[in-house]
Amino acid sequence: MPDPQVTDGVLSADASAVRYEDATKRYGDSAEVAVDHLNLEVPAGEVCVLVGPSGCGKTTAMRLVNRTVELTEGDVLIGGESVRDRDPARLRREIGYVIQQIGLFPHRTITENIGAVPQLLGWKKDRIKARSAELLELIGLDPELGERYPAQLSGGQQQRVGVARALAADPLVMLMDEPFGAIDPINRERLQNEFLRLQAEIRKTVLFVTHDIDEAIKMGDRIAVMRKGGQVAQYATPAELLMAPADDFVEDFVGADRALKRLALMRVSDIDLWEAPLAHVGQATSEVRAKLRGAEVPYPLLVDSERRPVGWLSERDLAAETVPAQPDSPLGPLLDRDDVMRDALADLLQGEAQYAAVADHEGRIDGVLSVEIISEFLASPDARVEEHGAVERPHD
Amino acid sequence: MISAALAAPLAAVGEVGEGFFKERTSETLPCQAQEERLFCFDWAKDNIGEYWTPAVQHVELVAISVIVGFAIAFVLALLAHRRRWLQPPLLAATGVLYTIPSIAFFFLLLPITGFGRDSAVIALSAYTLQIIYRNMIAGLANVPSSVKDAARGMGLTDRQILWKIEVPLATPEIVAGLRIATVSTVALATLAVFISAGGLGKPIYEFINFKTNIIIAGGLAILIAIAFDAILFGLQRLATPWRRAAAE
Repeated sequence: MPDPQVTDGVLSADASAVRYEDATKRYGDSAEVAVDHLNLEVPAGEVCVLVGPSGCGKTTAMRLVNRTVELTEGDVLIGGESVRDRDPARLRREIGYVIQQIGLFPHRTITENIGAVPQLLGWKKDRIKARSAELLELIGLDPELGERYPAQLSGGQQQRVGVARALAADPLVMLMDEPFGAIDPINRERLQNEFLRLQAEIRKTVLFVTHDIDEAIKMGDRIAVMRKGGQVAQYATPAELLMAPADDFVEDFVGADRALKRLALMRVSDIDLWEAPLAHVGQATSEVRAKLRGAEVPYPLLVDSERRPVGWLSERDLAAETVPAQPDSPLGPLLDRDDVMRDALADLLQGEAQYAAVADHEGRIDGVLSVEIISEFLASPDARVEEHGAVERPHD
Repeated sequence: MISAALAAPLAAVGEVGEGFFKERTSETLPCQAQEERLFCFDWAKDNIGEYWTPAVQHVELVAISVIVGFAIAFVLALLAHRRRWLQPPLLAATGVLYTIPSIAFFFLLLPITGFGRDSAVIALSAYTLQIIYRNMIAGLANVPSSVKDAARGMGLTDRQILWKIEVPLATPEIVAGLRIATVSTVALATLAVFISAGGLGKPIYEFINFKTNIIIAGGLAILIAIAFDAILFGLQRLATPWRRAAAE
């Protein structure tokens, strides 16, 4: 394995592929295997989520990588090199490790916690300090928190520090065991998004364990669904998993609402929007009425001179001679092209709106989304979720 | 136990009373002569200097005994922490030592180590083992497993986990054990006089009927206990800044 190249200032985008080769873990003499001839290839820089019911061996499988669980048979290769040939402690210093209970050292300051692995690697004090400060900034924490102790931070802050600590020595591989499992739902979503944004920059190879299929779909470039007995039921991109579950177990695990889950992989711009007849202030209503005939959306949308949506025109508005400046109906939900489709649908339903205007980055009208478009899309046989949905994951 | 047990040991240990009070007469102890006064200030003022040497001996006796006891208990606890099966037998062994009556313990040691400080230190440090060992085992067991898991996963060796994580985090319990052991050793050390190891037991048993003497010697023992306790408490606060921070 090449030495991690740590550039001053930012984390390098170096990462190593991880390959399981018939990796097997058996405890004691028991016939029952925790991990059974696992074969997985995780390409460098991708997030592989190990997901499955409790007791399926997903955590054990993850721990084989840093040898906190020792292989019984088979091998795990990091960057082509067998973990069996490495000294466990040295190996672990090159692999980031994040666990659900965080496990910050209570008697060390935040700065010291983040600097723990660099200290083991014999970095100079100044460099460790500078490194901790950079990482605090990277995870969006006030550098002054560096002098505090873990007990003085909130759970969400502690988990951010946990991630920063794992990244401190610029590891080539990250192991994350239900890292956001103990965080409340609102903070969990925030931490997930932050991590995705970070990962888009640093491109580490990540093995991510969760029992939550929604989290798996959100976080994973690839997902390995595991079943009891330590076997992989399916290893696929999130889109493939949702489109074509390999068997009943996977289908069951993914859930009956997998069609809806697919919406989490899409953005509004991935779908063909409808066009609304546009109206401008002062325009003759007769012109607008003419546009209405045969339009996909039966209501005219008032836009300003920059083509930014203002509101919907009602029958009463159209009864006047010209288009008024203040339309009768408010605009309702305004979506962005880059919104995740699932969120867009939620906005539509929450706003009790039939239609929602979609704007581009400058706020100009791009089209109209309706519940009908989404349901038609889900029903259509060619509703293949585009592959890029899984690769360029939406971010908030 | 004191006065009843006193006669024989005092007789056996001939040198106990030697030299502390120059002459035990009603002239040198005027206060005593006047009967039933609780505390005789004049006498105390004139004789307080006599207590300096026994007090220093007492402090030394306690300090040496606790340090020896701590060193042994620390090693035992580390062994038992690594090899769990050692925990019950070690607990039983230190427990047995703890139950031996102290005066009996001193005289059991007489044929082996003879009169003097060595015997006293052996007995007194043996009494500290149980408390220090127990507290340290408890402290090490209280270190959260998530912290140890994270430490291992980050690449700390077992030795580093012990010295950088477990022992520092067990410090509050370790010091708590030390404090109890020290205070009880201050009290027990007054019996060291029976094997001629000096200390505040000497003035106490030399003239046990003189109340002023008992109050001064006993008071000094209490002060020594408080001072030791305060020092250990201060050291613990210095050594565990994270606990104060967490409490804020």
